[in-house]
Amino acid sequence: MSDFLNFNFSKSYPRFELRTSGSFPDGIVAIFGPSGSGKTTFLNCIAGITIPDTGEIRLNKKLLFSSDSQTNISPNKRRIGYMFQENLLFPHLTVEQNILYGYRLTKPEERTIEPELIVDLLEIRHLLNRNTEGLSMGEQQRIVLARALSTSPDLLLLDEPLGSLHASMKASIILHLEYIYKELQIPIIYVSHSLSEVLKISDYTMVMHEGNQLFFSRTKALFNHPELSRIMSPGAIQNILEATIIEHRATHGITMVQIGTKVLAVPYIHEPTGEVTSISISAADILLALEKPQNISARNILTTTIEKIDPLITNFLIHTGPDPSLKVEITSDALIEMNLSVGMEIYLIIKSNSITLLD
Amino acid sequence: MDRGMKMLSSPDIQAILVSLQAASLGTILGLPLAIGIAWVLVRSSFKGKAVLDILVSFPLVLPPVVTGYVMLIVLGRQGPIGSLLYQTLGINVVFTWVAAGLACCIVSLPLMVRAMEVAISGIDPKMELAARSLGAGPIKAFTSITLPLAYRGIISAALIAFARGLGEFGATMIVAGNIPGKTQTLPLAIFTNLQTGDDGNAIRLIVFSLALASISLITHHMLLKRRGFRNQ
Repeated sequence: MSDFLNFNFSKSYPRFELRTSGSFPDGIVAIFGPSGSGKTTFLNCIAGITIPDTGEIRLNKKLLFSSDSQTNISPNKRRIGYMFQENLLFPHLTVEQNILYGYRLTKPEERTIEPELIVDLLEIRHLLNRNTEGLSMGEQQRIVLARALSTSPDLLLLDEPLGSLHASMKASIILHLEYIYKELQIPIIYVSHSLSEVLKISDYTMVMHEGNQLFFSRTKALFNHPELSRIMSPGAIQNILEATIIEHRATHGITMVQIGTKVLAVPYIHEPTGEVTSISISAADILLALEKPQNISARNILTTTIEKIDPLITNFLIHTGPDPSLKVEITSDALIEMNLSVGMEIYLIIKSNSITLLD
Repeated sequence: MDRGMKMLSSPDIQAILVSLQAASLGTILGLPLAIGIAWVLVRSSFKGKAVLDILVSFPLVLPPVVTGYVMLIVLGRQGPIGSLLYQTLGINVVFTWVAAGLACCIVSLPLMVRAMEVAISGIDPKMELAARSLGAGPIKAFTSITLPLAYRGIISAALIAFARGLGEFGATMIVAGNIPGKTQTLPLAIFTNLQTGDDGNAIRLIVFSLALASISLITHHMLLKRRGFRNQ
């Protein structure tokens, strides 16, 4: 596995400074962070729309920007597809003319992707003769994506492309993005402030905060990073776990999975027993008790001990372990009233329905 | 139409033609200039932008006679531009219909710039950036995206400038003179007829002037009412 992007640059504004350095390995990389953390500025610097003050950017080893050697390849020569936050279809052109706009500007020897293929893949052939008025949000997104892909880019940048879409539309675009990476071999950098999107889409995540990169990690290991809690709003922290399917109880609509030595009942999974899958549980969805609860509807009651207590912005995060190792979000009231401390034996109560499947 | 022509004497027709020529030249010269200035005023930020903004508005507030006099000094044979033109190309602009056209251009420039500013500021600047990311150079992005999207602004600017050019009087009189058959425009002919007491002829020209102005304003209205490109 090689890196497609190497960067080390900074950009100062009167009230904001962006400083980043690192490498992105092949795959779909998400950039996650709250609003104003510099995600879009980062993309603009990669695309060449914003010129960094100092530093260097390389795409597939090719130098795009260097303050030392005074190199700055202009945006139209970087071969980077960019889907902006707003849909920017050209309103004076038809859908087909929009899609062919970049294709016609691409040198014939650099055209590796034919618009015909993209049009069918994104299911927009029936829209080709339309003008850009009256298209649904989902249709607009697919056309913008097709237009960017028709230039056969070396990299695709997406700035919160799913922000305004319905859940079913999101799922379909996510499948398309996975196809684009796997079949067309185009790496993707995906900016989002939604953790659930990041989890579904990306292989790696760079977390940004106030213009700095907090850390870079595999998306699946994202929540194990201690820095993450600094920027998370209440209710957003997730437990991502590898679970082995051990038994199906189809009539009950549940599947039993094993995590470490513990067994959990989760909503039915259409995978054979023995398969390993990823599940996610929101830290705010786990209840914590000091005595074993009786007569309770929740299917999963696990015993464990408190390893660590971290303050969040408003609440507290309880780290349990070693078996199972989970994060539980509680209010400061609960912490004080229950008199919780490190080393205490506790019970965790998890509803089956609050567990979601990731793969 | 045949009767109408008979009603107008040959010097009158000359005056109408000079007016049309001057207004056309002024519009053709001014439009690219106005588009460029408007683009700079809307899209770029630099020190002295306010100065350019104010300078562009000057012909709007100055008495046209003053504008004409400044042009006469600049374009005259002793002037910086006039002497250059005369020495290198042997051209004398002052007191020709070209000077009348330049007067139309300068006087209608602020109107064109304002119309283009409205049109360009109505276009999302990211449209051009999207075009750039699709492989278009800055000029290609401007001509293939911004210009077509500003289409209504361009029509509006051209027709308003043309209408204003037809009515140009003060600056033209100073820089082009009032030479019948050569630089005498429609408004100058009306003025001369009124001065010499030929009220009948003046009224005929006034009616014609009204008709011309109406045609350009009605065209303006019709073209812009028609469903055109939406400025995003």
